[in-house]
Amino acid sequence: GPGRARAARAGRWVRRRAGRDAGRMGGAGPGAADEHRPVTVVPGAVPRRQLCFAWGPAEVLVCETLFGRAGTGEGAPSTSRVFVVRRDQDIYIQTLRKLFNESHGIFMGLQRSEEELAGKSRKAQLVQVSKNYRSVIRACMEDMHQAAISTRDPALQGQYSTQVSILSAMELIWNLCEILFVEAAAAGPLLLRLLDWVRLHVCDVDSMVREVLSSENPSKHKLFWNVVDIFVLQGRMDEARHLLSKEASANPTSMNMYKILDDLMKKMPVPSLGNTQTLTELELKWQHWHEECQRYLQDGTFASNPHMESICKILLGDEDAILEKKELMTTWYHFLVTRLLYSHPTVKPMELRFYAQSSMDLFLGGESSPEPLDMILMAAFEFEMHQVIKECSIVLSNWWFVAHLTDLLDHCKLLQSHNLYFGSNMREFLLLEYASGLFSHHSLWQLGVDYFDHCPQYGRVYLELHIERIPLSTEQKALKVLRICEQRQMHEQVRSICKIMAMKALRNNRLGSALSWSIRAKDAAFATLISDRFLKDYCERGCFSDLDLIDNLGPSMLLSDRLTFLGKYREFHRLYGEKRFPEAARLLLTLMTAHIAPCSFWMTLLTDALPLLEQKEVIFSAEQTYELMRCLEDLTSPNPGSAPFQDDDVETTKVEMLRLALARNLARVIVKEGTVEGS
Amino acid sequence: MIHDAQMDYYGTRLATCSSDRSVKIFDVRNGGQILIADLRGHEGPVWQVAWAHPMYGNILASCSYDRKVIIWKEENGTWEKTYEYTGHDSSVNSVCWAPHDYGLILACGSSDGAISLLSYTGDGQWEVKKISNAHTIGCNAVSWAPAVVPGSLIEQPSSQKPNYIKRFASGGCDNLVKIWKEEDGQWKEEQKLEAHSDWVRDVAWAPSIGLPTSTIASCSQDGRVFIWTCDDASGNSWSPKLLHKFNDVVWHVSWSITANILAVSGGDNKVTLWKESVDGLWACISDVNKGQGGVAAVTEGQQNEQ
Repeated sequence: GPGRARAARAGRWVRRRAGRDAGRMGGAGPGAADEHRPVTVVPGAVPRRQLCFAWGPAEVLVCETLFGRAGTGEGAPSTSRVFVVRRDQDIYIQTLRKLFNESHGIFMGLQRSEEELAGKSRKAQLVQVSKNYRSVIRACMEDMHQAAISTRDPALQGQYSTQVSILSAMELIWNLCEILFVEAAAAGPLLLRLLDWVRLHVCDVDSMVREVLSSENPSKHKLFWNVVDIFVLQGRMDEARHLLSKEASANPTSMNMYKILDDLMKKMPVPSLGNTQTLTELELKWQHWHEECQRYLQDGTFASNPHMESICKILLGDEDAILEKKELMTTWYHFLVTRLLYSHPTVKPMELRFYAQSSMDLFLGGESSPEPLDMILMAAFEFEMHQVIKECSIVLSNWWFVAHLTDLLDHCKLLQSHNLYFGSNMREFLLLEYASGLFSHHSLWQLGVDYFDHCPQYGRVYLELHIERIPLSTEQKALKVLRICEQRQMHEQVRSICKIMAMKALRNNRLGSALSWSIRAKDAAFATLISDRFLKDYCERGCFSDLDLIDNLGPSMLLSDRLTFLGKYREFHRLYGEKRFPEAARLLLTLMTAHIAPCSFWMTLLTDALPLLEQKEVIFSAEQTYELMRCLEDLTSPNPGSAPFQDDDVETTKVEMLRLALARNLARVIVKEGTVEGS
Repeated sequence: MIHDAQMDYYGTRLATCSSDRSVKIFDVRNGGQILIADLRGHEGPVWQVAWAHPMYGNILASCSYDRKVIIWKEENGTWEKTYEYTGHDSSVNSVCWAPHDYGLILACGSSDGAISLLSYTGDGQWEVKKISNAHTIGCNAVSWAPAVVPGSLIEQPSSQKPNYIKRFASGGCDNLVKIWKEEDGQWKEEQKLEAHSDWVRDVAWAPSIGLPTSTIASCSQDGRVFIWTCDDASGNSWSPKLLHKFNDVVWHVSWSITANILAVSGGDNKVTLWKESVDGLWACISDVNKGQGGVAAVTEGQQNEQ
């Protein structure tokens, strides 16, 4: 299965070769990186044209043009195209969704994890985090593999397979980093870990093994010795011995040879994980064993069986013998680990670099050049963490890998802060890039928010800049974005979003929604505008829309004068509807005398007073009636300060009616107030 | 021939303008391309378009060789001309909307050497302020500084309008980049930045990422692109750094939204992307090139600078 995919083939996914020296240059100057700078070619066929461009929120628009202000633009062909150039298309790959989502969970867990744990427990915790990341990669690989085998479309299949290779390489690199950096395995366990690593990743022996074991006569199978060899090369002694026993039973003549070889293999001293022996003890034992193997070889014990002799030479760490099995090992790093197993099992971490370099040189033998994956692994063996990150950044198509790995290494306190352009460290730099990329996706952007939260220096401002660009396609989405901004006290963004939503609602004639949004934005000007619209609607239709909203404005009524008027005016109507006439009357009058109502509305208010004036019961007091009369006079008299009064028939009639009603009311009220109750 | 193409704020709509005098608007959601509007009103090639901030609605400005600036607005689902400004004597080359915090204000640079500022005052009315002779021979580009409130760390009470210091940069045929500042309702020339030896074709003021420094990119007929930085808040001392000397005229520079990448397009059929590295050197990280025949896009490298 994909768990043991051939990572060697992953070499092909790489787009460019990073030469060793170029990779080492820090801060490349303008000319230096020329050969390594990737070029995105825009399909086009007109050589004379130039390219103009514009940034979108997540892309670059590029179009053919001719600069130079030729006034008429003659001779321009009729078709013109605009290209949208995007980077980081990986976020759109459905099968990688799991990778982004689950790694987000692991990332957050790590940020929140207990820093107080020290020493071994902290290290164990970090190793677990690393394993969790790797299992997510593997799960994704599995999905991708399933997708590849279940599709009929060869192009898609190719894409999925490429993705599987890439993920496989990522897991390979991560695993090595876990061993060397996170766990920081010491001499002894180091070799065991490396052996596991090789067994898990490098070479797919399963199918070969199955084939041989399931055959009628395993020891006669043409691949029999290949399998034995690979077991030996990977230090899988028990399995090798088991297979050899089949050979021995089939060939009694080699029984003697077999017994000796079996014994040697059984006795081989290996590092153990528990502290049962010191390195010195191990070295001593190993030395004795090595000498014993040497003696048997020199005595010609295995001379008659080239296969077994070769195995013995391998046990002795004979480079040539091991190199003969190049095809089985497939990679130089397999060769490295095998070499170490059989020549220096107590290798110390810092010694790895020498063995790594020579292994690569011997293995490639000048026939082929190292590929980027090789360079990355080499950098790891040399403990050049920054180099590993740098090379991975160049070669991978999105920031996911380097961002999460670097964050983990930073938590292991392994990265010294390198000051970058804006003074933040590498961890933050990478997280910012990764999270920025997420923002162009319609739902993954939410993950990006959390990543920005954990970038102490620029996370906030990056979030501010990006969150404004999220299309607020639905009210729900807007509320979601708002909640995020409110939680972080991003007041400017809150205001901006509310204003945008208010404007949208207004354009769609949803006055109630527009009003709510402008209240939330604390936008007095807009609230005034919308209140005017409500009032206009009332005048035209005689009723209010969105009563619920207006009835429950509460203190937000005070946002703007017009809004206050709207709220109070509605209250007047409510009071009237509930037949609480004296209160309604009082309110109506206040609206004018306290100048809450705009002058343009006074006529309407006075007209509203008519039914109150014509009630059987007297409602307005004398005082109030005088006030009303004064208002009417103010409105109708040609005063320089007041609003111009429409002098047409309808208005004149209204005024007459009002004057009459007010006069009648005054008469009634004087009588009433003059009369003693009950007399 | 298209002279400019701009995405709206959210990347959902695309506006293009062309020498055929039209301004077209497309809906580009989900990879689609639906023509929403074909706006006619200009009488000459249209040089630039600019989207206003969505809080003002769907508003687009365009400027043209015909000396006009037109502001278009979407009302009830249709796009219409909402304002036309004809106060320039010559081709209007560049339009740029101010930060939304200042209101709805458009700066326009013209070949008549003047820069005009159109401010929306409400109810369909626009107020015009003109800076005559901003650049002798002509003004080619305008770009606003991001809105920064002095003492912006202090939260302003919402009812109060913060005291913004409005600034913008312009580039002209006098080989100069100039910085303009509004004082007491009048626009004054605050700085003259001299480094180019030929017409300045474009200027771009970088978005703010909260640092006290300001950064402007300028490009010129002389093939050079300069990055100007000013370290102090009072905006007094600007120093240029040469990004690169190209072999041909450089026409256009622009910053990504978090200001970490500068894109440059020149006469050599390429758009190059630049980033500043740890030692202050600018490195080109990618090219977008015109090529023969169809080649699938290779994504740009993400060179991590140590």
